[in-house]
Amino acid sequence: MAVTANLAPTGIRAGRRWPALTAFRKAVTRKPGRLIGLIIIVFFVLMGVCGPWFYGRLAVDPNALYAGPSAKHWLGTDFAGSDVLQEVVTGARYVLATAALSAFFTSLFGVTVGLVAGYQRGLTDSVLMRLTDFVLTIPGLPLLIILSTVWSFGSPWEMGLVLGITGWGGVARAVRSQALSLRERGFLEAARGLGLSRRHIIFKEMLPNIAPYATMQLMLSMIAFVGAEVGLFFLGLVPFSSTNWGVMLNQAVFSGGAMETPSALIYLLAPLICILLLTLGIVLFLDAVDELFNPRLRERV
Amino acid sequence: MTGFARRLAGKLLTGLVMVWVVVTFTFFLVHALPGKPGDVQYEQYIMSGMSSEQASAKVQQVYGFTSHASLISQYGGYLGRLAHGDLGQSISYTGVPVTHLIWSALPWTVIPVLSGLLVSFLFGVVAGIIAAVRRSSRWGGLLTVSGSLVAGVPAFVLALLLLVVFHTEWNLLPDAGTSDIQYNPGWNLPYIGSVVQHAVLPVCAYALLSYGGWLLAMKSSVVSVLGDDFILASELRGIAPVTRARYIGRNAILPLFTVLALSFGVMFAGSFFIEDTFDYPGLGDLLLKSIGTRDYPVMAGAFLLITVSIIVANILADLCYTLIDPRVRR
Amino acid sequence: MSEVQVRGLTVEYQTSAGWLPAVADASLDLRAGEITGLVGESGSGKSTLALSLLNAVPAPGRIAAGTIEVAGVGDLTRLGGKQLRKARGGAIGYVFQASQNSLNPLKTIGKQLLDLGRSHEVSDLRGLIARALDLANRMGLDGKRVLDSYQHELSGGMRQRVGIVFALVLNAKVLILDEPTTALDMLSQASVLEIVRKVHDENQLSTLIITHDIGAISEIADRLAVMYGGRIVEDGPLLDVLRRPTHPYTKALIGATARITGDIDAARALPGRPPDLTTVARVGCVFRDRCPFAVAVCAEVEPPLEAWKVGAEEQIGRRRACHVDPSTVLSGTPGTPAAVGEPA
Repeated sequence: MAVTANLAPTGIRAGRRWPALTAFRKAVTRKPGRLIGLIIIVFFVLMGVCGPWFYGRLAVDPNALYAGPSAKHWLGTDFAGSDVLQEVVTGARYVLATAALSAFFTSLFGVTVGLVAGYQRGLTDSVLMRLTDFVLTIPGLPLLIILSTVWSFGSPWEMGLVLGITGWGGVARAVRSQALSLRERGFLEAARGLGLSRRHIIFKEMLPNIAPYATMQLMLSMIAFVGAEVGLFFLGLVPFSSTNWGVMLNQAVFSGGAMETPSALIYLLAPLICILLLTLGIVLFLDAVDELFNPRLRERV
Repeated sequence: MTGFARRLAGKLLTGLVMVWVVVTFTFFLVHALPGKPGDVQYEQYIMSGMSSEQASAKVQQVYGFTSHASLISQYGGYLGRLAHGDLGQSISYTGVPVTHLIWSALPWTVIPVLSGLLVSFLFGVVAGIIAAVRRSSRWGGLLTVSGSLVAGVPAFVLALLLLVVFHTEWNLLPDAGTSDIQYNPGWNLPYIGSVVQHAVLPVCAYALLSYGGWLLAMKSSVVSVLGDDFILASELRGIAPVTRARYIGRNAILPLFTVLALSFGVMFAGSFFIEDTFDYPGLGDLLLKSIGTRDYPVMAGAFLLITVSIIVANILADLCYTLIDPRVRR
Repeated sequence: MSEVQVRGLTVEYQTSAGWLPAVADASLDLRAGEITGLVGESGSGKSTLALSLLNAVPAPGRIAAGTIEVAGVGDLTRLGGKQLRKARGGAIGYVFQASQNSLNPLKTIGKQLLDLGRSHEVSDLRGLIARALDLANRMGLDGKRVLDSYQHELSGGMRQRVGIVFALVLNAKVLILDEPTTALDMLSQASVLEIVRKVHDENQLSTLIITHDIGAISEIADRLAVMYGGRIVEDGPLLDVLRRPTHPYTKALIGATARITGDIDAARALPGRPPDLTTVARVGCVFRDRCPFAVAVCAEVEPPLEAWKVGAEEQIGRRRACHVDPSTVLSGTPGTPAAVGEPA
């Protein structure tokens, strides 16, 4: 007996070209912090990608050991005379590359398991979920520490793989719950009813719906990945092949005595501040990403 | 059995299964390490003149499993000894039972962790409430970002920063060890005072570690509760402000039990870095040192204990939640 | 004799385009012993009006103008602090939709009743519980069991009845129900309406029922008020309004309502969409874009809500806000105008 003339009050806005890009731009510029975050991230990515091009081989200046900042060495030098700024810049590449690779492997394992479990249900689902629970239960860091005794995963690929193996549990569980909610919304049945193939359903229907949420989770885990890899180097559990921020920290604290001598402090602080800045950048930017995918969070009228 | 009791039992059972899985996993982990440490040790004993039974028994004593028996019997023996609380003996500290080492290391992890957890909970929850109530103002936003930032920064970065500021720059607090050497351990005031002084920075590091998590969780919980219908309803019914605050508070704190469970994992993970940086002889430090010396029994024992503690803590937090939320109790 | 007298009420919300009115210059009377149905589509401002009667418009909204006189309390728009808090629940009771969880999930119903009593400084708490039990039992609930239950243990219908108990237990004389039949099946709808009528009669309340369902409200209401675009466009005794709708919108609403008997094709949907506070017209009549009777003046001057006069004789209790002559509206067939003036 309801009034049939009742329609939704908000009209459909006229579409613009690249509506996704406009939404993105709006979300990022809404609060200044988010733009700053994006800039920081881009800055570090550029540092990682282009940085090493500016330096040939690691320039060592044996005359200036633990020198303070000067015109020649903007951040001073370390205990062997290497330029600190140079080390920070080249080290960035390793850190970011590893984080990216960890994200890649984590999403590879996690999304696959989550999608299959959410789509198949039944026995496959139970088995996969037990497996996921297992991976989630074993605490990652102690496991990594123990693993470091048998396998020295120093290169970015190895490190990425190991972090991916130990860390895919959370992503899998999140993806699966998203898949299940899609199922509940009748999404899958409708697609099946239309006669779409399983591959099409998984890749063209489910994946695009899950991708935003998964991406957000991944960005969040980037912080954890950076922490884990730098931490492992800091603890001295992984062999140093090239320089990176973790190595710098390890050297600074345990061999360089940066804790005691204020002049060597810069060597310690430089990578530390970089980690802080990168974390800050991701945190600030994630705010925008969150709002994009969670329209409910937008402060509306 | 009521539905509730049945679910309780179910959770306990799941927990036991997980513990068992971890125990088995540890067994295979140590067993699978290349270099078959047990076998190597066995050979060494034989070469030093022991008979095969003696050598076998000695290996068993140290590692917890015999090297040359079948896998199943090794596993069975391992479980049996575990049930008796025997984790083998250390290699680097020859003859010292692993349990002994763990027992003396435990307080240096547990007490700072619990203190840090308490401090972070208090500050984090209060900050979270403020961040939620003032979320549209600049301060609220700033508070939230600070929480996210602190939550994201790795443990050792926090520890190092604390050290740099409070020790290197201002030399207020000591950097290493649990207490100054000149004091005799025991229940005397100077020693305890020194312990407390040395503990300030590690506890702060632990507190900072989970502060961010509490803040963010509490904020989102309060925001979510504030949007609930019954809060508006209580306002429209003229409920007194104090009562409403209690309604909001209790409803918002409830989901934080899951954060509590997570916090244990975070704290223990952080213990590696914090104990390493501050030279604290806790469990994390024990594990790290044992890796350096390839002291496998200690490695296995420490890993087992850390992992099982985290699982048990999770189960306890889960149980507490079930007991407190009437919606789950039924 | 009105329990509640609303005059010139304007409620605004702050938007990116400035402060916009969700309710504009509304006037309404709620009299003792009368059930008034306030009908409108979503976006019409009816829920905002209901909330403003308790001076509880949520941020970013505010009451910009007008008075709300409640017998025995005063002008609610001028009250604040403890007085306002006491009036809520003590003078006016508000009942939420059945689907909403209007109670604290962590406490039993009984404990929350005690909280209510203590908040209103009720000295005789036992008496309060007794009255609550009485109310509950009269509505068909098992009072004792309900008081010991938690919200999640009750069904939607039970929760709504508990909501009515909470609204009346402090002897409020005014009852406001927000969409009491939405989210309920037909049978539950009927029983809820029956209960409301019964409770209303027993306690001689002034009741206001907010709804979009003109059919449901016609079962129990004494008066009908129609809202559109934040304005009250017509009101009067229920049967009279239904039989002789003099506002084009009311007529369209009635015409659009499908009936169980008769030809379903007779129901005509009204073209266009109802406005919300950002899209409502600022000049002229808010309904003119969809009005089949619109004339030129409709675009320029907003019609005031006035008594309907046939010749010099006032039709008792009937008000309308329309420029077009009532007889034109009355004689046109539902959905199609008898005579169309110059389009706006």
